[in-house]
Amino acid sequence: MEVELKRLEQEAESALAEISRVDDLEPFRVKFLGRKGLLSSAMRQLGQVSPEDRPRLGQLANEVKQRVEQSFEEKKAAFVDSAAINRSVEDLSLPGRILPFGKLHPVTQVMEEICAIFEGMGFAVAEGPDVELDHYNFAALNIPEHHPARDMHDTFYVSESILLRTHTSPMQARIMESQDPPLRYIAPGKVYRCDSDITHTPMFHQVEGFLVDRRVSFADLKGVLTTFTQRMFKDDLALRFRPSFFPFTEPSAEVDIACVICGGSGCRVCKRTGWLEILGAGLIDPEVLKMVGYDPDIYSGFAFGLGVERIAMLKYGIDDIRLFYENDLRFLSQF
Amino acid sequence: MKLTFKWLNEYVNLDGLTPEQIADRLSMLGLEVDAVVHMARGLEGLVTARIRTVRPHPDADRLTLCDVEVGAELIQVVCGAPNAREGLLTAIARPGVTLPGGMKIKKAKVRGQESLGMLCSARELGLSDEHGGILEIQGDLESGLALANALGLDDVMIEIDLTPNRPDCASVLGIAREVAGFAGRPLHPPVTRSELPVLTADHPEFSVEISEADLCPRYAARKLTAVRIAPSPLWLQQRLQAVGMRPINNIVDITNYVMLELGQPLHAFDFAHLAGGRIEVRCPRPDETVFTTLDGQQRTLDADMLMICDERRPVAVAGIMGGLESEVTEQTTEVLLESACFNPVSIRRTARRLNIASEASYRFERGVDPGGVDIALERAVRLMVDLAGAKLVDGGVDLYPGRKPELTISLRCRRVQDLLGMAISEEEIARHLRSIQFAVSEATDGVYRVTVPSFRVDIEREVDLVEEIARLAGYDAIPVSLPRIDMDYPRREPLRTLRQEIARIFTARGYSEAINYSFSAERKFAQLLLPQDDHRRKVTRLLNPLADDQEIMRSMLLPGLLDNVRHNHNYQRQDVALFETGKVFFHREEGVQPEERLQLCAVLSGQRYPDAPSLYFANCQAEIHDLKGLAESIFQVLGLAGTQGEIEFARAEEMGQPYGQDGYAIRIMDGAAEIGRLGKVNQQVLRNFGIKQDVYFLEMDLQAMNELPRVNKVFRSLPRYPSVKRDIAMIVSDEVPAGELIRAVSGLDEKIIEHAELFDIYRGKPVEKGKKSVAIAVTYRSADKTLDDETVDIVHEKIVNTLMSRFGGRYRDGQE
Repeated sequence: MEVELKRLEQEAESALAEISRVDDLEPFRVKFLGRKGLLSSAMRQLGQVSPEDRPRLGQLANEVKQRVEQSFEEKKAAFVDSAAINRSVEDLSLPGRILPFGKLHPVTQVMEEICAIFEGMGFAVAEGPDVELDHYNFAALNIPEHHPARDMHDTFYVSESILLRTHTSPMQARIMESQDPPLRYIAPGKVYRCDSDITHTPMFHQVEGFLVDRRVSFADLKGVLTTFTQRMFKDDLALRFRPSFFPFTEPSAEVDIACVICGGSGCRVCKRTGWLEILGAGLIDPEVLKMVGYDPDIYSGFAFGLGVERIAMLKYGIDDIRLFYENDLRFLSQF
Repeated sequence: MKLTFKWLNEYVNLDGLTPEQIADRLSMLGLEVDAVVHMARGLEGLVTARIRTVRPHPDADRLTLCDVEVGAELIQVVCGAPNAREGLLTAIARPGVTLPGGMKIKKAKVRGQESLGMLCSARELGLSDEHGGILEIQGDLESGLALANALGLDDVMIEIDLTPNRPDCASVLGIAREVAGFAGRPLHPPVTRSELPVLTADHPEFSVEISEADLCPRYAARKLTAVRIAPSPLWLQQRLQAVGMRPINNIVDITNYVMLELGQPLHAFDFAHLAGGRIEVRCPRPDETVFTTLDGQQRTLDADMLMICDERRPVAVAGIMGGLESEVTEQTTEVLLESACFNPVSIRRTARRLNIASEASYRFERGVDPGGVDIALERAVRLMVDLAGAKLVDGGVDLYPGRKPELTISLRCRRVQDLLGMAISEEEIARHLRSIQFAVSEATDGVYRVTVPSFRVDIEREVDLVEEIARLAGYDAIPVSLPRIDMDYPRREPLRTLRQEIARIFTARGYSEAINYSFSAERKFAQLLLPQDDHRRKVTRLLNPLADDQEIMRSMLLPGLLDNVRHNHNYQRQDVALFETGKVFFHREEGVQPEERLQLCAVLSGQRYPDAPSLYFANCQAEIHDLKGLAESIFQVLGLAGTQGEIEFARAEEMGQPYGQDGYAIRIMDGAAEIGRLGKVNQQVLRNFGIKQDVYFLEMDLQAMNELPRVNKVFRSLPRYPSVKRDIAMIVSDEVPAGELIRAVSGLDEKIIEHAELFDIYRGKPVEKGKKSVAIAVTYRSADKTLDDETVDIVHEKIVNTLMSRFGGRYRDGQE
């Protein structure tokens, strides 16, 4: 019996080794492993051996059967693997089954990115009304009526004292009025100017930011804006601060970055200067601090404002600002 | 502000500095240079030429043969210009020269006659659009001169974009002062204070009275006789032209020239037209309501507008524009020259109301140095004597009611260092201020007393001096540091978070975000068929819209998105899925800000999955359940519950929107409050918007959604026992809403019903007409045992019975 089992195992292994076609697997299984196969019938003969030999031979028979089964499964797996390699049933040149994502508007993307950088520096985000009081848009920012600086803002009016905010700076006054320093805020939102051409739309987006505390300096302003622009564009980006004028900051600055198109060597976008103006900033004017009841000898702060479309245009090389508001999917899907 | 390099060089020696270097330094000082224009560029090789003889061309009627003198040479040129005449000095491009337009001149034969160059028109030279004939050069000049020199164009124009705080730099001398400051070179003003004559309050030949001293701090005038009105000398005309000003006559040109040079606007009156030889600075009398300015326009006067008047009537709008009647003309022989200073706010208000923006009002609005009034007057009368042969009447009037003491400001050096974050020494601080003519005392305890020169009308406070020091030291010299501030992690605004979450859901579902203008037009409401009493017609209106379709603030997002759908369809993009989150505005009452609400709107048209490969997703036309599902998933994903139970998606029978199609409208309800709606845009509205394809819309009020409670996430143990799934197929009347069947199943108070789902709806054979087969799969599960068939059977039968009795349905067996 023992000899018989060993022989059967050898016979099975050599028969298996000779199989070269997948079609021959099944006849082999029936012959050796099937319910009426050779191994099964060998096991049925166990009933005829002496009871003292039965456990040992039974175990042996089981082991043999398991080994043959394992070899068979390995052989079968080998066929399956090689079949997968040799004849692909799928045409893998077909496109993937994509359900495309929609895109956030490029203005939103850039605005979120700007906010994320400042939020990372601990700035809170606040949004104010689009239809604003003249007081917050101008007077509280040290721009009294009949100040020539109002020429810098082509203002839409709703009534004599109500207008569409021309910048998001009113949030400076609104927040300072109701809270005490230290303050760190950014105010993103829509702003409006009555102006429309290839570089101006009557509505656009700004992010205003400000920080007020004891002993805040112009050097701090430079530090925060340097960090911001480098995170926004690239880490070794050069920037320069130029004196400028805003009624609500003093000293005031305009901030240029090295042209992201030509790298500073001069091109059409930077008008051959190598620099691109991207934001306005300055130390908050003491008049503005006084108006909200802060003592300018104790507190100082800085504020800045940047145009989101301008940054998006630079970042993506968009040449016409009006494209932002056509909502053409051929445009939106690019970002 | 425009000036030229040579002009600037008259007041400060620019040796060794290029225009570009100056431009760069000025920009870094806060005087932003917009343009540096080399005016001679393009005129290289062009020279002056004098026509000696003009003969007819033998073979062409319209051409002439000109013998032209170019220096010592005499050459023949064929010319077709009507103004070619003997003695004319013009410009010639000789063979080898390229004109600004790119045309290269060659030796040529024109109709058989040799032509050794081309006589050029102003347009061909790129000087102006003038093309009626060849250029006529004024002045007694030689031939053979470089054309740029002959025309005074061998100079560089620099244009500066002045900020409103620097009226002192609205003058060439003001810019020169800044240049002298940074270059460390002396400034040479055209007239100095020590040269000024003494003027008095009275004069035998004319009188001046200031009735509104608040509005006119200073008024000075002198009289000139024997004036010969004529064109200005060439250099003066060229200088004005170089900065974009049109020459008129010698007297007017001189007033303009001195204004540009010193920043002081001047006005010359024809003395013969000043009644009574008198000037009165006052506001109009009640009967003086109209006035004709020298541009010929009739202006309506207000009682608070400051006027310059003679004995009888107004003769000029003070500081803004002179009057037509007293204007200097060719007949003028006597001139009264005014140099004065006016209140900036008054000038600005008047200029605005009259809608005049003149060079004079520009300067007065921003602030003119009252201390410079007499200097400008002296400068101008000297030029009039020199250039217009005028005789100066001795003496003159100078009234100065608004004289102010010199302004002295305390400056704490420590304050400068703190605000700038910069270790700048006391000596440096003083040096910078002195470089631009501030007087600085010796420091005591780190405090300077700084006296502000009168031309710096913008400097009033310590912080103004800090800014001066910063810009003179250079912003580049200020170090870079970061603020030391207490750490904080601010709370996030929930509405902003909600907006971001919703945007993520929409983009994940293939919708792109649109941003439309906050403006809209009233006619959009008619296009949407909104009735007159709809609350969305209560809009906030702009007083000064840019365009008719931007006259109001939007009270809905849908019209903008429908316009976007049409735009995309027009560009062959049929499949459109867009959403917008934005504010809408509802008018409250006059003088009050409108209510601003953040809303959401989405539109879907065409294929359900825009841009998906059509190989897999062809013919998936969008329908209303796409937007319904999207809306439902927003509530699910964000875990938003109703304030009183579930959010309901109710079919709107009565309360649908006028722009929605009947039978395709769903209201999203939180109890009795509608927080959103969705539907199909009706055909009439689509036509009104020019859209030729079905559009589905969703509108939600984000502010209302923001107030909904969020469902608490509470863990439930995973089921330990297997579920049993049974199907039911019911034949019910077509009118029965299938969703009600599911609600009925879910509503049964049977613990073992875990879930019920519709999985098929079938109409047609063998189901009879007017009926449908609804197939429902019910999942049963118990939390504490494996369910046996009997338990399930009891409940399942109960469901079937309930459905049959509630909906008049019939159980559909296998054969049917």
